Amino acid sequence: MMHAPRGERETPLDRLAPGEQGTIERIVGDRSMVRRLMELGLVPGTPVEVVRRAPLGDPVELRVRQVHLSIRRSEAAQIRVTPR
Amino acid sequence: MSRPADTPASETPAVVPLTLDQRPARGPAIRRRIAILGNPNAGKSTLFNALTGLRQKVANYPGVTVEKKLGICALPSGGRVELLDLPGSYSLRPGSPDEVIVRDVLLGLQPDTPPPDLIVFVVDATHLDRNLYLALQVLEIGRPVILALNMMDAAEARGIRIDERALEEQLGVPVVKISAARGTGIGNLRRLLERDVEPSTVRFRRLPPHLARVVQRLETRLPRHELLPERGRHDLALALLLDDGEDDAIARAAPPEVLDDVGILRRRLDQLAPGWRSDDIEERYETISQILARTVLSPGETRDANRERIDRVLTHRIFGPLIFLVLMGAVFQSVFAWAQPAMNAIDFLMTRVGFLAEGLMPAGPLRSLVVDGIIAGVGTTLTFVPQIAVLFLFLSVLEDSGYMARAAFIMDRLMGRVGLSGRSFIPLISSFACAIPGIMATRTIDNRRDRLTTIMIAPFMSCSARLPVYALLIGAFVPNRWIGFGTLPGLTLFSMYFLGIAAAIAVAWVLKRTVLRGGKPLYVMELPPYRMPSWRSVLITVRDRSLLFVHKAGTVILAVSVVLWFLASYPRGGPEVSALASRIAAAQAAGDAPRATELEDEMAGVSLRNSFAGRVGRALEPAIRPLGFDWRIGIGLITSFAAREVMVSTMATVFNLGSPGDDVVSLRESLRGAVDERGRRAYTPLVGVSLMVFFVLACQCMSTVAVVRRETNSWRWPLFMLVMMNALAWVTSFAVFQGGRLMGFG
Ligand SMILES: Nc1nc2c(ncn2[C@@H]2O[C@H](COP(=O)(O)OP(=O)(O)OP(=O)(O)O)[C@@H](O)[C@H]2O)c(=O)[nH]1
Ligand SMILES: [Mg+2]
Repeated sequence: MMHAPRGERETPLDRLAPGEQGTIERIVGDRSMVRRLMELGLVPGTPVEVVRRAPLGDPVELRVRQVHLSIRRSEAAQIRVTPR
Repeated sequence: MSRPADTPASETPAVVPLTLDQRPARGPAIRRRIAILGNPNAGKSTLFNALTGLRQKVANYPGVTVEKKLGICALPSGGRVELLDLPGSYSLRPGSPDEVIVRDVLLGLQPDTPPPDLIVFVVDATHLDRNLYLALQVLEIGRPVILALNMMDAAEARGIRIDERALEEQLGVPVVKISAARGTGIGNLRRLLERDVEPSTVRFRRLPPHLARVVQRLETRLPRHELLPERGRHDLALALLLDDGEDDAIARAAPPEVLDDVGILRRRLDQLAPGWRSDDIEERYETISQILARTVLSPGETRDANRERIDRVLTHRIFGPLIFLVLMGAVFQSVFAWAQPAMNAIDFLMTRVGFLAEGLMPAGPLRSLVVDGIIAGVGTTLTFVPQIAVLFLFLSVLEDSGYMARAAFIMDRLMGRVGLSGRSFIPLISSFACAIPGIMATRTIDNRRDRLTTIMIAPFMSCSARLPVYALLIGAFVPNRWIGFGTLPGLTLFSMYFLGIAAAIAVAWVLKRTVLRGGKPLYVMELPPYRMPSWRSVLITVRDRSLLFVHKAGTVILAVSVVLWFLASYPRGGPEVSALASRIAAAQAAGDAPRATELEDEMAGVSLRNSFAGRVGRALEPAIRPLGFDWRIGIGLITSFAAREVMVSTMATVFNLGSPGDDVVSLRESLRGAVDERGRRAYTPLVGVSLMVFFVLACQCMSTVAVVRRETNSWRWPLFMLVMMNALAWVTSFAVFQGGRLMGFG
C-alpha cells in the first residue's frame, strides 16, 4: 500500500468495540482479498463503524458507506484504521 | 448456456479467437437485446418482472439470481425487445461463478451470447456510492447505458434527494428514477428503451500515469475484437494485468506472447509503484465522491432506525439464536397444524371422486386403472398440496423480509466449525424447498472447495418433495398428542429435518478434512435492510409453487401411476390365482360370505405379489428386509427415483390393487392395517420411522444428480453423492430398525 502507517494510532479494525468508528488506513493481506474489500468501498480514507458482533463473537457487522457488511473477525483484523 | 464454474482449463478450447466475428447474421427481424446489470439486491429481477410480466424469483438478500434469464419486453410503440436478467455483481473483476457470467456477457466472452445492444444499469438509490462503482466500470467499457435509479420510494422516505439531470450530465447517459417494486417510473423507462442511446463520452478514469502508460502499451498488442468497442479493449488490457492469470477466460483472450509480457510489466510495476494493483479502485471511488458532491442534494438520514431496532433483537446475543430456533420449530409445527384441515378435505374429496367413478364405470380393467391407478395415485399425492403451500408461505416471508441474511450472520460461526461459512447458509436453506435451486445458489460461493462441499450436502436438507412422504407416514403411525411444547407429529417432522441437517454437518466436516481440505476463504456478505414482505408476491410464490406441485401430479405422477398400474396388475391369473378363484366360487355357493371375502383378499394379495412390479419388489426385498421394509415398500423405493413424491402415489396404487374391489381406500388406514403373507402386522411405527429416516438420507432424485453433474462438470461428484448418500441411508435405517427392535419397539 502506498499509505504509510500513521504511527501507533493505527489499529486492526477488530479491536474496535461495537459502536466505535475509525478511518481506513490500509488493508493488508492476500492481494485478491484486498482488492475485493476495496471494491466494496473500503478504500483508504473511508469512515467505517463496527456495528455489532454476531452472537458467537464472529463474524462482525461493519457499516461502510451506508452499507452493512458481515465479515470475519480475522479478516477485519487485516483492515487497519485510525480510531476516531 | 452459462460457463460452468469449475471448468478445468484443459476441457475448454485453449484460445477463443477474438478476431472471429461471432455475431450471428442479424436480419431486421432480430430484436434488440437489452441486459439488466447492477449490484446484488438492487432490484434487477423486480424490474425485469415489471418489464416482461414474468416471475423471476425476487427476494431480499444478495445473490438470488444466479443464471441469466431471457424475457420479452413490449415497448410503447408496439415493438419488442429481448431483456436479459443477470446475476448481481459488485465488480467486473469477478470473484464468484455468478459474477463471471456477468463479466463474460458484458465483454462478449461467451460464445453463445452476443454482448447486449443496450444496458439498463439498476442502481439502489439508497446505496448510491457503492452502486456507482460497478456503474463506472460498465460505463468505461463504452457501451450504451441507461441508468435506472431504483428504490426511489425507500430513498425518498429517508430524505435522500438526487438531481437526476445533474447525474445525467456527470455520467453522460440517460438517468431515470424508478421504483420497480411499486411500478413507478417504469413507463418512462420503457419509453427510454425505445430511444437510440449513445455510449457515454465522459472519460472517467484517470489511472495514475505510470499505470495508464502500461495499459496503453498492452492494449495495442491485443487482437482486435469485433464485438468489443475500442474502450473495451482497454478494460481487457487492465483486467489482464490485474487478474494474475487466475482467470482463464481473460487469459484465453490473449495470445501467449502477450501473456509473457504481462508478467514482465507486472514485475516492473511492483518495483515502481507497489500499490498499483488497487490504484484504479481508489481513483474510481474518488471520481464517485466528486460526482455525488454535484448530484446529491441531500444525503438523507444516515441511520436506519427501523433496522437498528429490529437487529437489536434478532441478532441479540441470546434472543437471536433463540428466535432462530423457535422460528424453525414454528415452521414445522404449522406445516402440520395449518395444513391438516385442508388436507382432510382434499382426502375426503378424492375418496368421493373414486366412489363416483366406481359408480359410473362398469367393472373391469379400465375401471381399475382409473380408480386404483389414477385416482388413488394422483389423488393421494394432491392431498399434500396444503403442506407445500404452508412451507413456501414461511420460506418466502423469511426471504422477503431480510431475515435470511441475519440467520446466516448468526450461523456463520457454527458453519465455520465444519469448515464452511455463512455463504453456504442460504443455498442450504433454499434446499428445503428443493435441492436443485439450492445447488444452483452455490454459484455465489467464490471458493471452489466450499462450493463443492455445499453441493454435496445440499440434498440432505429435506426438500418439499419429501414432505408428502413424511406427512403420510407420520399421519399413519404417529399419534396426534401434545407433548412438551409441541404435538408429537410436529416434533417428529422437526426431528426428520434435524436429522438431515445433522447428516449434512457430519458429511461436510469429513469432506472439509479430507478431499476438500483448504483454508478459510474470504467471507463478506451484505446485510440488506429490512423490508415489509409484499403480500402479493408472497401469495404469488405460494400459488406458483402449489401449482407446480399439482402440475407434477398431473404429469410425472400420472404417468408413473399408469405405468405402475400395468406393472402391478399384470400378468394376471396363474395357477395360484385360479385355485383361489375356484375356492371363492365354492365358498359363495356354500353361502359362506365371510370366507369368500377373506379369500378375495388373499387373491388380490397373491395377484399383486405375482405381478411384474411385485416380482421386482420381491427381488429387492432381501436387501431392504433388515431395514424393516417389505417388497411393497421396495416397489415404492424404486419408483421414487422418478420423484420422491411418487412414493406416495405408488403406495396408494399398490394398496388399492392389493385390496379387493375398486373403491379407494385411505392410504393411511391401509398402511396401519397392512399384513404380511402370514397375516401379521406388516408395518409397525418403527418401520414408519425407519422408512422416514431412509428418505431423509437417501439420494433418490435423478434431477439432483443431473444438476450436480452440470454444476461440477464431472461425473465423479454426482456418483460419489449417490453412493455416499444411499450407503448412509441404508446403514442409518438399519441401525434405527434393528436398534429399535432390540429395545422392544415394533
Ligand atoms: N422499497 C423497494 N424495494 C424494492 C424495489 N425494487 C426491489 N425491491 C426489493 O428489493 C429486494 C431485491 O430485489 P431483487 O429484484 O431480487 O434484486 P436483484 O437485483 O434481482 O437481486 P440479485 O438477484 O440477488 O442480484 C426485494 O426484496 C425487492 O422486493 C423498490 O423499488 N422499492
Ligand atoms: Mg435477481
